[in-house]
Amino acid sequence: MLDLLWLVPALPLLGFLALFATEGKLPDKLVAVIGAGTVGIAALVALFAGREFLQSGEPSFSLSLWTWIAVADFQPSITLYLDALSLVMMGVITGVGFLIHLYATGYMWKDHQEPASYSRFFAYMNLFVFAMLMLVLGDNLLVLFLGWEGVGLCSYLLIGFYHRDAANGYAARKAFVVTRVGDTAFALGLFLLFRELGSLEIQQALAASSALTPCMATAICLLLLGGAVGKSAQVPLQTWLPDAMAGPTPVSALIHAATMVTAGVYLIARMQDLYLLSANAQHYVAVVGLATLLIASFTALTQRDIKRILAYSTMSQIGYMFMALGVGAWSAAIFHLMTHAFFKALLFLASGSVILALHHEQDIFKMGGLWKKLPVPFWSMAIGSGALVALPFVTSGFYSKDAILLTAYDTSGWLYWGGGVLAAGLTALYTTRMMVITFFGDAKTEPHEDSRINMWLPLAVLGVLSIVGGWFGIGVLDELLGGLGDFSHASPVAVVTMAVPLLGILLGVLVFSGRIDVAGFVESKAGDALRRFFDSGWAFDWLYERVFVKPFLWLARVNKGDVVDLIYTLTKSITRGLHHTGALTQTGRLRWYAANMAIGLIVVLLLAAGWL
Amino acid sequence: MILGAILVLLAAGALAWAAGRFVSPNAPRWVSMLAFAAGLAWAVLEWQGGAGANGLYAEQFIPWIPRFGINVILELDGLSLLMVALTMFLGIVAVVSSWDEIEAGKGFFQFNILWVMAGVVGVFTALDLFLFFFFWEVMLIPMYFLIAIWGHENKGYASMKFFLFTQISGLLMLLAILALVYFHHASSGELTFGYKALLGADISESVRLWLMLGFFVAFATKLPSVPVHTWLPDAHTQAPTAGSVILAGILLKTGAYGLIRFAVPLFPDASQDFAWWAMLLGAVSVLYGGAMAFSQSDFKRLVAYSSIAHMGFILLGVYAFNELGMQGAIVTMIAHGFSTAALFMMAGAIQHRLHTREMSRMGGLWVHAPRMGVMTLFFVVASVGMPGLGNFVGEFLALLGAFRASVPLTVAATIGIVVAAVYGLYLMQRSFQGAPNPDVAAMRDFGAREMSVMVLMMAGLVWVGVYPQPLLDMSAATIAKLGVLP
Repeated sequence: MLDLLWLVPALPLLGFLALFATEGKLPDKLVAVIGAGTVGIAALVALFAGREFLQSGEPSFSLSLWTWIAVADFQPSITLYLDALSLVMMGVITGVGFLIHLYATGYMWKDHQEPASYSRFFAYMNLFVFAMLMLVLGDNLLVLFLGWEGVGLCSYLLIGFYHRDAANGYAARKAFVVTRVGDTAFALGLFLLFRELGSLEIQQALAASSALTPCMATAICLLLLGGAVGKSAQVPLQTWLPDAMAGPTPVSALIHAATMVTAGVYLIARMQDLYLLSANAQHYVAVVGLATLLIASFTALTQRDIKRILAYSTMSQIGYMFMALGVGAWSAAIFHLMTHAFFKALLFLASGSVILALHHEQDIFKMGGLWKKLPVPFWSMAIGSGALVALPFVTSGFYSKDAILLTAYDTSGWLYWGGGVLAAGLTALYTTRMMVITFFGDAKTEPHEDSRINMWLPLAVLGVLSIVGGWFGIGVLDELLGGLGDFSHASPVAVVTMAVPLLGILLGVLVFSGRIDVAGFVESKAGDALRRFFDSGWAFDWLYERVFVKPFLWLARVNKGDVVDLIYTLTKSITRGLHHTGALTQTGRLRWYAANMAIGLIVVLLLAAGWL
Repeated sequence: MILGAILVLLAAGALAWAAGRFVSPNAPRWVSMLAFAAGLAWAVLEWQGGAGANGLYAEQFIPWIPRFGINVILELDGLSLLMVALTMFLGIVAVVSSWDEIEAGKGFFQFNILWVMAGVVGVFTALDLFLFFFFWEVMLIPMYFLIAIWGHENKGYASMKFFLFTQISGLLMLLAILALVYFHHASSGELTFGYKALLGADISESVRLWLMLGFFVAFATKLPSVPVHTWLPDAHTQAPTAGSVILAGILLKTGAYGLIRFAVPLFPDASQDFAWWAMLLGAVSVLYGGAMAFSQSDFKRLVAYSSIAHMGFILLGVYAFNELGMQGAIVTMIAHGFSTAALFMMAGAIQHRLHTREMSRMGGLWVHAPRMGVMTLFFVVASVGMPGLGNFVGEFLALLGAFRASVPLTVAATIGIVVAAVYGLYLMQRSFQGAPNPDVAAMRDFGAREMSVMVLMMAGLVWVGVYPQPLLDMSAATIAKLGVLP
């Protein structure tokens, strides 16, 4: 079965090709079967291949397909590489990916903005799964880059899926361009890595990396970090993610929560040996994570759009993962990546059901009182929220977040731990706000629940995973990746880590159900300014608009006619001017010519006589 | 056989003209189709036949003007064969893209297309500098007619500008050729225009820089590179669709080919000294071309400026003076040939249907013509440099090679890939996405004829993108023989 590993990415690719080639002419039911089916079968293949891999006891397995390019000493091949890390990633992508595809067959069912859009949607989704699998299975950084750019393309296509609305197109382009800024750094990192180490083959490069000077190692690590920051929506390239919520909700769940945005975490974890050479670079990874974590958490507190709340929450959770990578909690980062994929996919899908039931209403202040009317989405969101907040012992998020925070405390002291705990409190606060306002209080919009099996089944499965995923992690993942070991939950630090989210929930319930009145502060001038500052995502968009976008647009406007062409138009004008001047002398009057000849003759004679 | 192919194209041109006059106005396009199809078949057969021991797929030698050492020397090596095959293929694309665009003078139109392409095939195979220059001129005149007669509203200006730029830069090259032959004669006593004899010409250091520049300016103008690029947006915008397809797909590549085949090998030392400046021009072209593409509101003009940006990668790659860069430049030549030809075909198709190139008068076209939308999307994505498609392989190799030569210039050019995303996606947005433009009631989508060439170009880009090795192997042999790389 392991030799059939190539089927795992090939199946979704096949699905894409089938949907692409038939130009949307297939009946919708068949589209659903192809779209979700190929990913489902890929998940099964992945399961069996993974089992065989684990039974084999080998640390890694490679499957060479063909040499992509061979020029001089540059010989990247298309080779699939399976080890514990890519196994976990492959499982998440195909497993969670299948559940989301299944859900989407229902979610998109009546979403026929135009003919063929159902088929187009699944074509893009399948292509995405293919690209994401190449990203994690590629044994070569160039193959990884292929997947990396491929998922970016699919993200662009799916954010702008409803392309009649120009705002969606803008969001899509913003996502693509901002991540491309990171990709530029990534590409330069590849150039430098290749120049220094002579190979982009990951294992070879890592093995050779000890020969790097510290300065060079730092440079490469930071360039790769640039790519990771763009893809994973971390500060300072985080601004695209909230806007990316313009895409259909299953897209947000799959691409902008569970898989693509965690590609940066995967990249750094994959290049772990390189980062270990540079304490500086690792430090920056942690700083980026911590900064994003705090910025995003504060911002999530002020959002009204349920998907944007979840988007900022995603950013902050990936911030935890970056922080984990930075403080050396490699396995914990991947553990959190996995549990986050479960509970955040669950949260997004459940919110999608709410949104659908309310006829595409996304403003939480127009919801309310839904918990009885929409039981499946409510309980799903409750479980997801519990995991996000990290309710002790009963949720998967608790174990992974705990592993990160406690390791941070052990290796890097109180700063990262403190920041992480503060953000955990904020997480509890904004999650409680979201739940209380959405599901409790007075009903503002009448829902119509439309729950078919293909929609509630994924919620149920993800709900179970959001709870048991933590135990699975401690049990199985620890064996695969190591380092998740036993943390004592009795130490004072552990108790504080556990207690802060609970306090956050308590505070949230009191504030957002109106038992503590904060209106006075919120409506004060300072409070309002602070709210607007947070709401804008800490004014990053405002800044970039002025520093990059406007000057570029200005330049484009003033130079539309191409200033370089002036050289030639001026040459033309001068030539023409000379021509006209010369033509002036040609009057056709005999007297004028005779006079000129006489003057000329005199001048020549005078010159000859040496008088001039 | 090579001369035969050129003569077939020339003869087909005459035949097409006559057929248009005496048989039916629609007969000429079939003559063209057949001629290019035959040419493509010939190229494929030569490829299948494999290269001889000397690395040549075909060669020909016919004495021409022995007194001055001028001969018809035609050779088909890996690089030449690739370019000839691309020429023949894009000939078909050009004919299909102007299938029912041309109203008047259909016979003479096809005559010009066939004669341009005959000149191009000559340029890609001639190894006698006199003969090379002869073909260089042969491809110019018919192109001038294509723009001047069948062009759009400002065709007089554009065709004259095209002619002057090419002619003046060509004149510099002619002077350089004559001087090279003269100095070679002076030092060796042998009067010849033969390429191989001139390769090792013994020329003083001060002179060879100027001679190299004579060649460089001609080729850089054709490529084109900033700051001699301004003929291109006008020529492209005004040319009929087939003209743009040929211009972008093939004629620009003759500039790149000239650099690789002539400018660098004839003057290796001078080129090496000049390399940093050439790379600088490349990096500037990437950024400036990209920024200019973004500022355009005319679909065709935008694509034209994007070509300038893409050609910048070729300059970077060639003057990196390593195999990675050189291969990158060659792959870019091929991939850009497909992607830009397709985009120009798209521009022509839209103009034919909507009678405008202004993107402000488009918008939401996807609703009317989803096939055209998908195709535009595909080729935009390719030209943005998506891995898995041809342009990525070319540009990545070029940058990888350039990085070893100059880090700052490579950094600058790499930023160009962000700009490419900005203008590429903007093009997509303004034409096919967004709210449907109320002024556009309906638009006929692509039919089977257009789709078949589009699908072929897609297949070409995917092939170059995921399995470029056959192509790399062919050009590797040529690069090795050029002997300019360390």
